[in-house]
Amino acid sequence: MVYDLNFGWNGAIGQVILGATRAEGGTRNISYRIGGGTTLPFLDGNPSSPSPLVALEICDNPEYWSPIIKNYCGDLVDNVHEWATAAEKIYKADLVRLYLTSTRQRNFSDISSVGKTIETVLSATALPLIIEGSNEPKIDSEVYLKCGETAQGERLLLGTAEAGRYRSIAAAALAYNHSLIAQSPIDVNLAKQLNILLREIGMQRDHIMIDPYTGALGYGFEYSYSAMERIRFSALKGDTDLAMPVICSAIDSLNIKEVREGDPALQDEMAIQWEFYTGIAAAVAGAEIICVRHPKTVAMLKNAFSGMRSGSGSSEVKE
Amino acid sequence: MALKALDVYKLLPKKNCKECGDPTCLTFAMKLASGKADVDLCPYLDEEAKSVLGATTRPPIRLVKVGVGERSFAVGEEFVLYRHDKTFYHPPGILFKVSDTWEPEAITSATVRVRDEFFTRIGTDLRFDGIAIENTSGSPDSFARAVSVVEESADLPLVLMASNMEALNAALIQVGSYQPLIHAATKENFREMCAHAKKHSCPLVVKAQRLDDLTALVKNCVAEGVKKLVMDLCPQFPGDFITTSTAVRQLAITRAVPDLGYPVFIDATDPHLQDAKIALGIVKYASVIITPPLSAASAKAALTLRQNIYTDPQKPIQMNPGLYRVGSPGKDAPVLMTVNFSLTFFTLQGYLESTRVPCFMLIVDTEGLSVLTAVAAGKLNETLVRDSIKKFEVEKEVSHKTLIIPGYSAPLSGRIEEATGWKVMVGPRDAAEIGEFLHQEWKKTKDQKQ
Amino acid sequence: MITKINHSLSYDETAYHLPISFALTGIAVHDQKAALDVFEKTASNPLVASECILAEKTAAEGREPVPYTGFIDDTIIRKLGYSLVDGSILGLALVVGTPPGADSASAICRELQEKYMLTFLAGDIVGTLSHAGVKLGLEYRLIPLGSKPTYGIHFVDIIARVAMMFGGVTPGDISRLLAYAKERAKAIVIVFPGLSDQEIAFVDGMRVLGFPILSLGDYHGGDWIPASPDDVVRLGMEQKGIKVNVTAIPIPMGCSPAFEGKSIRKEEMYVEFGGGRSPAFELLRMRPAEEVTDGQVTVIGPEIGSMKEGAAYPLAIMINVAGKMMKKDYEPVLERRIHNFVNYGEGSWHVAQRDIIWVRISKEVVAKGVKIEHIGKLLASKFRMDFPQLLDAVSVTLLTDEVKVLEAKKDAEKVYAERDARIKGMRDADVNTYYSCTLCQTFAPNHVCVITPEHPALCGAISWLDGKIAFEIAPSGANQPIEKGAVINTQNGEFEGVNKFVKKASHGEIDRCSLYSVMEYPMTCCGCFECIALMLPEVNGIMVVNREFKGITPSGMTFSTLAGTIGGGAQSPGFAGISKNYILSDRFLQGDGGIDRLVWMPSQLKEELKPQLVKKLADRNKSDLFEKIADETIATSIEDLILFLDRVKHPSLTMKPLV
Repeated sequence: MVYDLNFGWNGAIGQVILGATRAEGGTRNISYRIGGGTTLPFLDGNPSSPSPLVALEICDNPEYWSPIIKNYCGDLVDNVHEWATAAEKIYKADLVRLYLTSTRQRNFSDISSVGKTIETVLSATALPLIIEGSNEPKIDSEVYLKCGETAQGERLLLGTAEAGRYRSIAAAALAYNHSLIAQSPIDVNLAKQLNILLREIGMQRDHIMIDPYTGALGYGFEYSYSAMERIRFSALKGDTDLAMPVICSAIDSLNIKEVREGDPALQDEMAIQWEFYTGIAAAVAGAEIICVRHPKTVAMLKNAFSGMRSGSGSSEVKE
Repeated sequence: MALKALDVYKLLPKKNCKECGDPTCLTFAMKLASGKADVDLCPYLDEEAKSVLGATTRPPIRLVKVGVGERSFAVGEEFVLYRHDKTFYHPPGILFKVSDTWEPEAITSATVRVRDEFFTRIGTDLRFDGIAIENTSGSPDSFARAVSVVEESADLPLVLMASNMEALNAALIQVGSYQPLIHAATKENFREMCAHAKKHSCPLVVKAQRLDDLTALVKNCVAEGVKKLVMDLCPQFPGDFITTSTAVRQLAITRAVPDLGYPVFIDATDPHLQDAKIALGIVKYASVIITPPLSAASAKAALTLRQNIYTDPQKPIQMNPGLYRVGSPGKDAPVLMTVNFSLTFFTLQGYLESTRVPCFMLIVDTEGLSVLTAVAAGKLNETLVRDSIKKFEVEKEVSHKTLIIPGYSAPLSGRIEEATGWKVMVGPRDAAEIGEFLHQEWKKTKDQKQ
Repeated sequence: MITKINHSLSYDETAYHLPISFALTGIAVHDQKAALDVFEKTASNPLVASECILAEKTAAEGREPVPYTGFIDDTIIRKLGYSLVDGSILGLALVVGTPPGADSASAICRELQEKYMLTFLAGDIVGTLSHAGVKLGLEYRLIPLGSKPTYGIHFVDIIARVAMMFGGVTPGDISRLLAYAKERAKAIVIVFPGLSDQEIAFVDGMRVLGFPILSLGDYHGGDWIPASPDDVVRLGMEQKGIKVNVTAIPIPMGCSPAFEGKSIRKEEMYVEFGGGRSPAFELLRMRPAEEVTDGQVTVIGPEIGSMKEGAAYPLAIMINVAGKMMKKDYEPVLERRIHNFVNYGEGSWHVAQRDIIWVRISKEVVAKGVKIEHIGKLLASKFRMDFPQLLDAVSVTLLTDEVKVLEAKKDAEKVYAERDARIKGMRDADVNTYYSCTLCQTFAPNHVCVITPEHPALCGAISWLDGKIAFEIAPSGANQPIEKGAVINTQNGEFEGVNKFVKKASHGEIDRCSLYSVMEYPMTCCGCFECIALMLPEVNGIMVVNREFKGITPSGMTFSTLAGTIGGGAQSPGFAGISKNYILSDRFLQGDGGIDRLVWMPSQLKEELKPQLVKKLADRNKSDLFEKIADETIATSIEDLILFLDRVKHPSLTMKPLV
C-alpha cells in the first residue's frame, strides 16, 4: 500500500552552477550544479538531487584563525598555496572556501595582494572556489572588483552580501559572472527581502545562495536549523524568492567554550564532532554546501553523505 | 485534523461543574484542543462524544513511558512535523548498548558511565537515559548474566534486545517489574512477544520494514492488549530512515493513519555511520536511540544537538538573573548589564572571555526576552536595573559606579542613570565588538580617572 | 552616408560587435551588407547609422590621437558597470558641443565629478577643457570620446553594452533594451551650442532611450530642456532621479543612536526651549520640489552666541521636504522622527511632539562649537539618510525670534487640527488597500496581521498609515499592500482579496479571515497582542483581558494561559488578539453583534479607556452600557459574572447565543 503523503509541494530549489571547466571557459576540473531539489533533502527515493557538498575553509592570514586548526595543520596554514592543495588532494574537500583574513589588518590597503592570493589559490587547486571578501565595508568596492576580475570565468561563489552591504559584491557577481552568498540574521523574511533587493539590482535567482547564518551547536544552532527548514518549506510551496540553495557555515564552532576549553587531548575530536553534528543536521534541514574548518570533518561528512543512500552518490559530477 | 477549542466546546456538556479540575468548560476545551488534557476527565461525556474528542484531541503520537518511577523516561506526545510549527515536546532517550558477549567489566563500565556522566549546559544537566542489553549470543544464560551485571551497578531504564523467547524470559524474570522496553515484535513472533510484554506491562518495539506491515503489526499488538508501542522502521540505509520516519510522522499528525502514531526507535550502532545515525535520529523524530558507548566528544555533541532541537522555539531559555564573574574581576572591573536570555548571555560571555578582561555580567530578569524585544516590550527598564543592582549587591563588588549597557538599550541610558545614580556607558549593539569597546572606551574612562 | 560604407567595420576589443546594432537586432555587424540590413531592420535608426559610419571611419582612418579614447574596450566597460552597480558612480553624463568659454564648461564638469557622475565628452569641449588645464581621463571621470559630437555614439554603445552585460538584456530584445535605458540607466546629455543640424539630429536620436537632453544653447523646437550652466547638472540629475546619498553629518558633535537615551540635566544644559518655559513647536511639511533646496538650513533670530547660559528661548523647528514619492499623509509619521533624530545628537535632547516639545542643548557641545544651525543640519542630514527613496530634498528653518515663533505657531496649530480631523475620519470603507505585517513571523511562522484604518495591528504599534509608509519606504519589507477585493461578508469584514493574501502569507494554513469578528475566522495571533478578546458562551458575551492584568478572569484562565494557547499563528474561533485602541474602534465586535457583547474587562484597562469609551458609547446612544461592563472587582468567576450581568440586565444576555 502506498501512502499518499501529499505535502502540497509544487516548487523546486533553483540550481546554481559553481566552477567552470575548460570547456566552459574556466580552469576547474569540475563544475557543480547545486540545488534543484523538489522535496525535503534525502526524501526522494532516487538520488536525483545531488548530495550536499563539503567545503574546507582556509584563509590567507592564520592570525585570525582558530589555534586548533593551526595546531592540526601545522605550517600548512602559513602557506595558502599548500593549504589549498591539501584541501583538495589530502583532505578531499569538494570545494575550497578562501577567507581573505589579511584584509582584517588595520588600514589594509594592498588590494593587489588580494589579486595575487586569489591567483595563487586558483593555481593551487582545481576545485571550484568560494571567496570570502573583507570585513571592512570601506574597501569592499576595490576588494570585490579585484576578486571578480581576477577569477573572471571561473564561476566563483562570492561571500557575503547582507542587507546593508551588497552593492559591491553584486556588482562583481554581475560584471564577471559569479554567484554570491546572501546572508541574513536567522530570519526567513529578512532572507527573502535581501533576495528581492538583489534581484532589483540585477542579480539572477540562479546566482544566489542563501546563508541563514548558522549559530554554533549549543549557541543558537536550533534557530538556524529551523530557519533552514522554513526556507526549504517555503521554497517547495512555491516561494521563488526563497528557492535558492542554502550554504551553512558554523564559523563559531571552534571558538565556543566547550571546544576551546576542553581537555587538550580531546580538542581535535571535539572540534570534529561539533562540526560534524552541526553539518549533518544542517544537511537534513536543506543545506547544500556545508563549510567546515577541521580537515577531518570533511572525510566524516562525505562518508556520511555517501552512506545515506546505498553507498553511492557523493559529489555531483558535471553532466 | 485536530479540533479547535470552539468545536471541542460545542461537544462538551457546558455545565461548568469543575469535576474535571478546571473552573470552566471553556478552559477544559482549550486544554483538550491542545492535547493537554485527558478526555476521560469529564464525567458527563457520552461514549460517542468521547471517541470523537479522544481521537481528535489526543496527541497524534502517543505518549509512551519506558521504565517506572525514577528509572523511566517518557517519549512521544508530539504534534508537528517541523519544530518551528510549535515545538517538539519529549527529547529522545539515548541509551548505550551493551552485548551479552562482552566482558562484565565492559558492561559495568558502560553502565556506570550512563549512571554518572553528565554535562552541564545552560544550567541543565545533560545525560544519557539508560542501557540497552543485546542478546547477541542467543543464550538465555548469557543474557540473564548480562542483565544482572547491569543491575548491580545502576537503576536505569532498560531496553532488552532479544528474539529468543527463553532469553527474554530469563531477563524479564529479573527486571520485568521495571517495565523495560522490549525489542522487538515482528509479524512472526508478535503473539509471544505481546504475551511477555503484557505480563510485565512493558512497552514493546514493533519492527517491520514496510509501512503497511508496520500498521498491521501495530493493530495486532493492540488487539493482543499491548498499547505501549514503539516502532522500529528497519531502515536499510540512513537515507531510508529519513524517508520513512518523515512519512510516519506526517501520516500520524494528519491522522491519516492513526495506527502509525507511536514513537520511533533507531539503533544507531554502526561502525562507520554511528554519529550520522544519532544525529539523524535526533532531528528526524526518533524517540529511542540506541548507541554504543560514545566517546566524550560524540557524547557532548549528541547531547547538545538533542538539547537544541528539543528546545521550545517560543520559549527562550532563561538564565538565572544575578551577578556573574568572567575571570577574576577586582574592584575596578567593568560591570556589563544585559538580559537573561541564554543566547544573549552565552554569546556575550564567550566574547568577554576571549577579551581576557576580567569583568562582571549583571544579568537582569527580562523573562528570557532578548535586548531588543525586552526594550520594546518595556520589560527592560530603569526600575529593573535599579532593583537588580540592589538585589545582587553590585555596589559591594566594585568601587566605581559605571554601568555598561547593551547598544540596543541606548534609549534607556538617561533613565537608568537617574534611577540608579550610576553613570551609564552605551556599549556596542553587536556583542562581537565588546572587545574593542572594552579596550578603547572602557580603558579611556579608566585613564581619565588616573 | 550609410550606403557609402566600404570597409569592414569592427572593433577588436569587444565581444559585442557593433554594440548598439547588436543590442537592438541581435545581428553582428562587420560589413556593409550587415550594416544595411540592420539599418533597414531598425527603420533607419539614426543611432545605428551613426554607429556604423563611425565604425567605418575608424577602420578606414584609424583612431583619433590621444587624449581621445574613441571606442572603449569591454574590460573597462565591465569595470564601469561594476561601479554603477556598486554605487561608486551614480550615473553617466554626455557633454557635447562648443562651450562659449572654459569657465562654464569646467564648472559643469567639476560639479559632475563632485556628484559622482562619470562624464563623457565629445566635440570642441574637449579641446576647451584641455587648454584650460583640466585633467582628462578615466581616473578623473572625464572621458574625451572624440573631437566631434558624433563620437558621442560611443556613449550609447557603452550603455548598450552595460545593458547586455549587467541588465540581462538579450541581444535583439529591443523592448528590454529600451526599458533598461529608460528606467535603469542613469544617463543625461548636456548640449553646448555649436552643433550642426546633422549633429542635432544625432543627439536628438538619443531621446528614444529616455535620456533627458539639457540644452545650454539656442536650440529651438524639439523636447530639449533649456537650462543655465548653474543648474543644468542639478536639473539633469533630478530628471533622471539620480540622487547623491548623504552619508556624513557635518556638525561638531557626535550623532548616533547610542546617545538616544542620554538626558541633559538642568546643570548640564546651556540653553533650553519649550517645556513650559517658552513657546516651542515642530512642524514638518511637504512642499513642491522647486521650493525646497536640499540641505539648506536657516536660523532666524538669535543664535547660541547671543543666548544666555541657563535661559529658555522660543523655538520653531520647521522642516520642508520634497520628494516624488512623498505624500502629505506621511507628514506626521516623518515629523515623529524629529524626536529621535534630535536625541541622537550627543549634546541635544528632545521630549514630546508638536507644540509641547522641550529641547535642550548641553554646555559640553556648545563649548565644542555647536550652534542652533547644527541642529538644523543634523535634522536635514538624518532625514535624507533615513528616507533615501522617499525624500529628494530637505530644508530646515529654525526660528528663535519670539514674535516670529508665536506667529508661525498659529499656523502650525491649524495644521495639527487638520491632521487630527483627517485621521479621525478615516474609515475602512474609504480605502481599497489594507496593509499586512509579517514582522512577527520569526516567532509565529504563519501569522500575518491585516491592518486597516479602523483596525490597527494587534501589537498596538502599527497603524494603517504606518504600514502604508513602511511599504513606500521599504517595498520589499514586512508591510505589504493588500487589495481588499470583493466583499464576502460586510458584517464580519471578510474580503476576497484579504483572504487570498492571508492564505499565501500563512503558507496555506489560513483560508479565511474576518476582520471584525472574534467568533468566525478571526485573525491569527502571534504572541505580542496587547489584549485578548474571547467568548464567554455562558453569557453570550465577549470579554477582554490585557497583558498587564495578572489575575484570573471569568473564563477560568489568566491572560498568560490564554496567550499560551492562542498564540503562535493559530486561528482560534472565539479568541482574538487585539490592540487596546481597537476596543475603541467602531468595527470592534461588529461581526459578533457589536459593542453590546462586551461583558467584562479589567478595571485598570476600563479606566484607561474610559474617557474615549464613554464618549463612543454616548455617540451610539448606549451611555448606560459602560457601568454594565463588569471588571475583576465585580466578578472573577463565571458564576459571579452571570449574577451581575443578570442584575444589571446586560444586553448580551438577550442576544443570539454565540455558540
